[in-house]
Amino acid sequence: MNYVKRLLAAGAMSFAALPAFAAQNVTWWDFLSGGDGVRMKALIQRFNEEHPDIQINGTTLEWGVPFYTKVRTSVTVGQGPDVMTYHLSRMPLGLEENVLDTISDEDMAAAGLSKSDFFPASIAAASDENGALHAVPFDIHSIVLYVNKSYLKGSRFLDDKGNVTGIESLADFEEAMALAKANGSDTPLSYATGDDGGTYRVFYTLMKQQGGELIADGQVLPGDNLGKAAKAIEIMTHWHEEGWQPEQAEYPASVALFTSGKSAFHMNGVWEVPTMIDLAAQNKLGFEWTAIQIPTLLGTTATWADSHAFAIPAGSKMSPEKRKAVMTVIGWMEKNSLAWAGAGHIPAYKPVATSESFKEMEPNATYSSLAETAAYDPRSVIAGVASPVYDASINIISPAMHGYMDPQQAAEQLQAELQAKLH
Amino acid sequence: MAMITNRRRDVAVAMSLIAPFVVTFALVFLYPTVRMVLLSFTDAPLIGNGHWIGLENFKRLMSDRLFFTSLKNNGYFVLLTVVPTTALALAIALTINRLKGALQALVLALFFLPYILPVSVVTEIWMWMLDFQFGIIQPLFASLYGKSIPVFKNPYWVMPTVAAVTIWWTNGFNVLLFIAGLRNIPQDFYEAASLDGATRWQMFRRVTWPLLWPVTALILTLQLILQLKIFDQVYLMSKGGPFNSSYVLLLMVYREAFQLNHGGYASAIAVVLFVVIMVVSVLQFQLLRSRGQK
Repeated sequence: MNYVKRLLAAGAMSFAALPAFAAQNVTWWDFLSGGDGVRMKALIQRFNEEHPDIQINGTTLEWGVPFYTKVRTSVTVGQGPDVMTYHLSRMPLGLEENVLDTISDEDMAAAGLSKSDFFPASIAAASDENGALHAVPFDIHSIVLYVNKSYLKGSRFLDDKGNVTGIESLADFEEAMALAKANGSDTPLSYATGDDGGTYRVFYTLMKQQGGELIADGQVLPGDNLGKAAKAIEIMTHWHEEGWQPEQAEYPASVALFTSGKSAFHMNGVWEVPTMIDLAAQNKLGFEWTAIQIPTLLGTTATWADSHAFAIPAGSKMSPEKRKAVMTVIGWMEKNSLAWAGAGHIPAYKPVATSESFKEMEPNATYSSLAETAAYDPRSVIAGVASPVYDASINIISPAMHGYMDPQQAAEQLQAELQAKLH
Repeated sequence: MAMITNRRRDVAVAMSLIAPFVVTFALVFLYPTVRMVLLSFTDAPLIGNGHWIGLENFKRLMSDRLFFTSLKNNGYFVLLTVVPTTALALAIALTINRLKGALQALVLALFFLPYILPVSVVTEIWMWMLDFQFGIIQPLFASLYGKSIPVFKNPYWVMPTVAAVTIWWTNGFNVLLFIAGLRNIPQDFYEAASLDGATRWQMFRRVTWPLLWPVTALILTLQLILQLKIFDQVYLMSKGGPFNSSYVLLLMVYREAFQLNHGGYASAIAVVLFVVIMVVSVLQFQLLRSRGQK
């Protein structure tokens, strides 16, 4: 009797706590931390305030292998989220694992979106071989070259308006680094040399700038690509030997080298743009900075890039109402992605990316041209975030450029190792 | 008649008493082990069923260079840890054993302290101390070698460093076992030996060492099993690099299963590791025991 009474009381209380209509709770998983995380949490909060009938319950998990392992295991046993962020570079593995539901044209319509609203390259990256969409692209993010202008004052690398200019080849760039070093920059080019992502992104950019392919038709570094990989490692080794790049810098140290004014250049993802903007706004940076597209050092204009996207786990038994709520969330996020661009990213949703407000956004507008020459990771199950390619970067490329192995030998080991994973 | 009933009752009581253990053991160890062995003959992903492919995984393993690199690294790590940690623990135990009262308890506690720390804390402490830019041990390296050494990024330093951290972490338990063994040796033997004019070294050689041998053999075997299973420290500190110089079998199992979604292949590696550990440890224990009995 007592039990029934308590049950009734609890029931009455929960009714009182709920609004009169049935709100849809959308479980959301992401891997966004730092500046990204702050902006995404703000977006989720705004969405929840504007939509009394849909509530997003967000959980942030650790980026990389932990996130994708959890996604795979939870989705397989039917305990996955309703919507999650996903890297497009990870699509091939996600499709092989069968964790990504198809997003139909009706779904897109429910979100108020259509495929033609997005950059074609990102839609292609988000689709399977048959053209079925498995994720909705959210942004394009790449590495850029952050510049501390104070080391270039009075040189040919700054024009009258204070814009960075004249870096059109590897020789130009190395001249600029030597100049910055002479002007007192301890480590003229900072990037995360002791970190998988930092090393990989620079390596892949240098590969693509030679017109190279890391993986093509199931072959790792086929033909003359082996030589191009060796050349890329050789360039990075040279930067190490000259003392232009830091030795074994972990990610936070590589950022700190730039923000503390010790490095004239910094190669890193656009996601650090908010760090610079915030520091500059608080007058803590102490120098004039800008971010530009990675200069064309080796003939071909190309920059490593990836995309964040929204995906729905496969095999979930979502009600049509819930599915609609999830698509509403995705649609709203796309239409409000200008706030996301504040984290440095280029929106994948063209109405925002081509809007006047985005074109006025700095420094995004300066480097947004890179979207046209963005070099996505090879479409392979061993490439992408938290993949064997990333592991090989820390296992082989990073120690090689620190002088523990000859570049040619390192390229060969890279090839052998990755090929062995492609069975 | 009455006797038979009693025996039956005895059997029933005995069964019900061991049932909790047997059931738990079967459920959380035996069943998963059997499943893992079965899985190793399939091409299954991490979760879900695959097709029976016979010995294909094992054949592939035989041509996988990384497997042999890992096997070799496991062996190297065993060499770097098992005997050194046992010898060190014996030396520490002998020293502590000569201390008295509260001081002895205090010193023992100090040596045992690292053992109660979780592996993540241990590796974090050492990664800070050995940090290439800011580590407090780096000035020592700089004074010895003229420059700082990125120990986890240097192919020659990485395994010895992981081994040193592992010994620091786990040595306390071995010290404890040795102390227990030392306390089991009757004091009379030493008194008799000293009456006969035995030197300290002779006492150790003729009394302590042989009587302590069962404990030593046990520690060596436990250490061998434990160190063959090395994973956490490598995963947290060096991730198998550089150039696979710290790649070990369990890391390979983890990467194949959780990163590449190859449940079957990962199980095959795990089965091989299981067999290696079983064979090596049984062999070693028999060898050590027979030596002790001589």
